[in-house]
Amino acid sequence: MASVLQKIVERGHYKFVDSVSSWQEAVKLSTESLVKTGYVDEDYYKQIVSCIEEYGPYVVFDHYVAMPHSQEDASGVHKTSVGFMRVKEDVDFGVDEDGERKVARLFFTLASCNPDEHTDNIASLMGIFTNEPLLDALMEAETPEDILAAEEKYPCEEDF
Amino acid sequence: MANLDNKKLLACCANGAGSSLMMEKAIEKVLKKYGVKPAELRHCPVSEGKSAARGYDVLFCARTFEKNFEDAKKAGTVVIPLRNVMSAQEIEKALQEAGLL
Repeated sequence: MASVLQKIVERGHYKFVDSVSSWQEAVKLSTESLVKTGYVDEDYYKQIVSCIEEYGPYVVFDHYVAMPHSQEDASGVHKTSVGFMRVKEDVDFGVDEDGERKVARLFFTLASCNPDEHTDNIASLMGIFTNEPLLDALMEAETPEDILAAEEKYPCEEDF
Repeated sequence: MANLDNKKLLACCANGAGSSLMMEKAIEKVLKKYGVKPAELRHCPVSEGKSAARGYDVLFCARTFEKNFEDAKKAGTVVIPLRNVMSAQEIEKALQEAGLL
């Protein structure tokens, strides 16, 4: 079975940018490949932005990883996938409730309308998010080939 | 509560789709390590969990959502706020501190 990163490459769900003007723009750009391929509607990113505005940057995890997503039954989602985006410069999401600054460079944006595939994706993403050498390599990635090479070099444990 | 056998566990996040599912998987990992078999383990959005939580023994959420569960706390639910929702280590430590493992 193809891994999440393999599916991201096969489906063209990736984007590489140098910098963005705001985290809102980053979220929008991270959905672009999903919009182009008809997986989500153009407006989907707005639901994600309003969710982060309401609850704070809890979708930004450790090691520069962000997992923007909307609800399980979000409107405007037609197929389940993950959109990957790498930004060269830090994207600042502000501070969380404890005053900790949240920054991201790797975006794994969720589109979900198939619970089974989504659950598999989440499990695989947890493997990626806890694999720091892989995350470091992904932050250096410039091409889809780099994504696959990074995964080959630093495979995830089948742990979750 | 001596341990988590036959207890009901709930994980909540804003959407009920992303981080709550990650929490559920990380919790599962900890339970497996200790050979614990809960009566129930599921995830849902905070909007649903807010009223549902009182029917559970333990509620897990990202720290930002803790304030939604004051009523559940009063009703006796143990609320465990997490910094890193996918950290099995943090979950294990929090459960130990709560005397649940």
